[in-house]
Amino acid sequence: MPDPAAAPPLDEMVDGRGGVRPHWRTLLGMLGGMGEGTLAERARRLDRAFEDEGMAGVLPGTKREAAWRCDPLPMVLPAGEFAALEAGIAQRARLLEALLADLYGPQQLLSEGLIPPDLVFANPGFLRACRQEGVAPAEPLLHLYAVDLLRGPDGIWRVLADRTTAPAGPGLARENRRLLARVMPEAFRGAPVRSMRPFFDLWQDALQRLAPLDGADPAVALLTRGTHDPRWFEDMLLSRELSCALVECGDLTVRGGALHLKTLQGLQRVNVLLSRLPGARLDPLECAEAGTGGVPGLLDAARHGAVRILNAPGAGLAEAPALPAFLAGLAPRLIGEDLLLPSVETLWLGDPAARQRVAEEPGWRVGAEAATRPPVASVVPCVAGDGLEPRPVALRMFAVFDGSAWRVMPGGLARIGDAAAQVGALPTQGLAKDLWVLAEEGADIIGPAALRLPPLPIRRAPGALPSRVADNLFWLGRYTERLERAARLVRATQARISRGVVLPREQAEVAALARCLAHAGFPGAEEVGGYSAAQALPGIIAAAMREGGPLPGLADRIAALTAMVRDRLTADMHATFTLTLRTARTEMLQAGDGLEAISRAMISVLRFATAVAGMAAESMVRGGAWLFLDLGRRIERAQAIASEVGFALDQPPARIEGGLRLVLELCDSIITYRNRYLSVLQPAPALDLVLADESNPRALAFQLAAISRNLSEVASDADGALPDEAASLLAEAEAMVALVIAAPDQAVAAAGLPPRLEAVAGRIAALSDAVTRRYFALLPAQQTLGLEGAAPAMKGAA
Amino acid sequence: MIYRLRHVTTYAYAHSVDLAAHLLLLTPRRLPHQQVAQASLTVTPAPSHMTEARDHFGNQATRVFLDIPHERFEVVAEALVEVRFPDAPPAAATPAWEAVAGAARGSRAAEFVFPSPLAPLVPAATGYAAASFPPGRPVLAGLLELMGRIRQDFAYRPGVTGPNTQVAEVMEGRSGVCQDFAHVMVSALRGLGLPARYVSGYVRTRPPPGGVARRGADQSHAWVEAWLGHEHGWVGLDPTNDILVRDEHVVLAWGRDFGDVSPLRGVILGGGAHGLWVGVDLEEVEGPVPA
Repeated sequence: MPDPAAAPPLDEMVDGRGGVRPHWRTLLGMLGGMGEGTLAERARRLDRAFEDEGMAGVLPGTKREAAWRCDPLPMVLPAGEFAALEAGIAQRARLLEALLADLYGPQQLLSEGLIPPDLVFANPGFLRACRQEGVAPAEPLLHLYAVDLLRGPDGIWRVLADRTTAPAGPGLARENRRLLARVMPEAFRGAPVRSMRPFFDLWQDALQRLAPLDGADPAVALLTRGTHDPRWFEDMLLSRELSCALVECGDLTVRGGALHLKTLQGLQRVNVLLSRLPGARLDPLECAEAGTGGVPGLLDAARHGAVRILNAPGAGLAEAPALPAFLAGLAPRLIGEDLLLPSVETLWLGDPAARQRVAEEPGWRVGAEAATRPPVASVVPCVAGDGLEPRPVALRMFAVFDGSAWRVMPGGLARIGDAAAQVGALPTQGLAKDLWVLAEEGADIIGPAALRLPPLPIRRAPGALPSRVADNLFWLGRYTERLERAARLVRATQARISRGVVLPREQAEVAALARCLAHAGFPGAEEVGGYSAAQALPGIIAAAMREGGPLPGLADRIAALTAMVRDRLTADMHATFTLTLRTARTEMLQAGDGLEAISRAMISVLRFATAVAGMAAESMVRGGAWLFLDLGRRIERAQAIASEVGFALDQPPARIEGGLRLVLELCDSIITYRNRYLSVLQPAPALDLVLADESNPRALAFQLAAISRNLSEVASDADGALPDEAASLLAEAEAMVALVIAAPDQAVAAAGLPPRLEAVAGRIAALSDAVTRRYFALLPAQQTLGLEGAAPAMKGAA
Repeated sequence: MIYRLRHVTTYAYAHSVDLAAHLLLLTPRRLPHQQVAQASLTVTPAPSHMTEARDHFGNQATRVFLDIPHERFEVVAEALVEVRFPDAPPAAATPAWEAVAGAARGSRAAEFVFPSPLAPLVPAATGYAAASFPPGRPVLAGLLELMGRIRQDFAYRPGVTGPNTQVAEVMEGRSGVCQDFAHVMVSALRGLGLPARYVSGYVRTRPPPGGVARRGADQSHAWVEAWLGHEHGWVGLDPTNDILVRDEHVVLAWGRDFGDVSPLRGVILGGGAHGLWVGVDLEEVEGPVPA
């Protein structure tokens, strides 16, 4: 037999006689109209678009940075060819469903000897927890099916791998299309490209349709591996496309035999779980592989029909590497049809004859259980430098079962490069192309009508906000504010020490600032004395900007939290947060000891903080997500004001004026003060402005009033203790100012406030802890019993 | 023989457990030669949710879910069981072991030829067993000899091994408890291509002459079932005691290894450190089985 690897690859665009294939002509015509270098420029723009979307991670150099890129030239499939693939993919999905239904049910195929028992019993993908003797499994087991295909020199598409666990890629395919349409709009003109939107609409309906029968208005959730997983970005995209909640295992709990989402409003039932985890990791009660992760009781809830998990947890069984060797034989037995879409040549190595063939013939790729002999993949033109270069291509295509039929996505991912080599790898890396499916001349490209759902009831209440997300938003608010405060302190300090010597009348202010900096976590600031301050503080500030210092550290935590709440931010918000934060962080790290450079970096920090505040104010609905972001920011700011005003006023009464000046500066209230009182600086008006004035967004009172308001909204009617405490703190702020106003000597009264301010700061910290305990449910760790603890139970009776 | 079974498992936690899920394989299997006249499980505190289902191997699995805080968890399994497994065929009448291995792959026993997490293929164990299986030997003759050798060569020593002890370690140390001996024998037989499964259950302790059985002295037990081919099916072999299973054992569940049939496993939220107490009584009942 000749070595199939020796034949030259088929060219997808150019036929054997050097002519361009008809379905590529429109695209090529468009390319001809583009100027020199335009394509390379588009490739760069596409890279940048992905980066801005957050696919490339928030910070440079962090692990979340995915090396996923899209080539500006799509891969084109003519209508007829897609129709053939569509029929083949749908049939293969039906076949695998029938196979799974047998192997998780009566196992007739094993009794009849149609597949070797090794493929089932020695396969870690066979989850015994998902089979019950004598009970047929709930169907469908397969809902989302993906297939990797390549085309050999003979022009035939063959299946390289079937993906049935939780196939990656459908969200990325959609994202490629969206960004390509933005960057290469002219490519879509005149080309009858089928839209992917109807497919996602159908998919969304299908999830509703597949809900177990008991509930009206079924709730669908997408279970992600978590924000630290490289697939998280796609999971987030999918949850948006499919309009379902994005949840992690820790957000879920099984109570009374049913699956629930833990939200701020209590437990909410989940009827359909689109799982992106391998089945063995779903339930620690049933599968040792789950360790202490997963949701205890989830498989039992599914077993008794309280929730539908898609794909079924055991569906990964159909990915057995040797299975393709038997599919052509199984098709007539299981679905009464001949297999339309062949696999690449596959041999099961448990068969001695197969082992012999593999040893004697060239070209076999040998794995543990199976050997395959894929043909040379066809090639497509890709942008390389200023020109084009033919590179091998493998397709990943997707199909979804809607309850009665399989629907194939008219599109997908065309993976480029050593495609044939990396078939098993996730498509989260490397280069891909948008896959265009051309509509037939005059065909309806809208697709079948979507399921008509009853009109939704109008809802204004905050939707289901998982406690974990509220927690992340709260800390995003706190850290953003903390970073901003640090920048303001640095600027105020620099203004006083930039001349190298501190003016005598500013000595007290610099000492107070050093205490503020120490409080804000600047290492070394607590030891700074009065006269040496001008010498010591520049070094302390510069050190705080360096890698590992408190400011870049805060930026990193903010970046991580931004990534974790990515699904709660619009694309514009995310891009704004990310770009401004990245700029500020880079400037900090590059500032070195230069006062000027540090000052510029601080301006960038303030710009970032302003962008967050502006976006939150203008683009976020005043619901749960906004409430917690704002709550975090207000609590952090209230605490900082109380502490810093305390430090500034901790002076002999005769020198209180310097402290007041500092207070107004740190609270960004100098201009307001000047407008109200011109240039006379007195304790009562200054303290009224920064402590008691509810209309000043930099005043303590403003924060406390907002905290009280937010907490009453979150707590609804349940418990009023938290908003009451905020209101009581507000009264204390007013009382302090009233005391100064009424005092015979305002300076003495002001200088006596620091202990009261310190107490207020302490109460705010306690309030923050109470919020954390009340809403973020810090659950103790999950532990398993029985496998490690049963030693005494296993004594023999001999 | 009729037995009254009482198996008490108690967990005591250092801190309150807020949420717990437990999977119990504590109901004796109903088998042609094991009649289960009564069986009950009493769980304290009372579960908020409880389900029954047969598992992949056909064992009766009970799942209990608790969502009230508790510092103590107790399961009392009680049953009235009549056992009388048929005598094994004469060893010489069983097929050659190679023929049994050859027939296994196409049979329902095939699953038990493959290695499993706690009974993997261990060359030392396979080699150890091979001495009892010279070419052409009737399978049961080899099995009986292997069982006797394990009883002789391995010291029964509680406390030196745990539930996750690997077969290779037991082969090395030549000591352990019933679970280890069962895993060694299962692993060794699979190495030869013979189907073998792990059985969890109870064995009665012979009362001392004229005395009565000591309460709480008995524990969960484990042994092996090996396949003798289509005609004779499965036979129970207890390497800890070097006896064939006839009327002194009660079968709870079987699987590939202990991991499939742990009598009680769970996932708890909170709890901290915990203590575990287990007590088993397997008492012979005289006279007819009460209805």
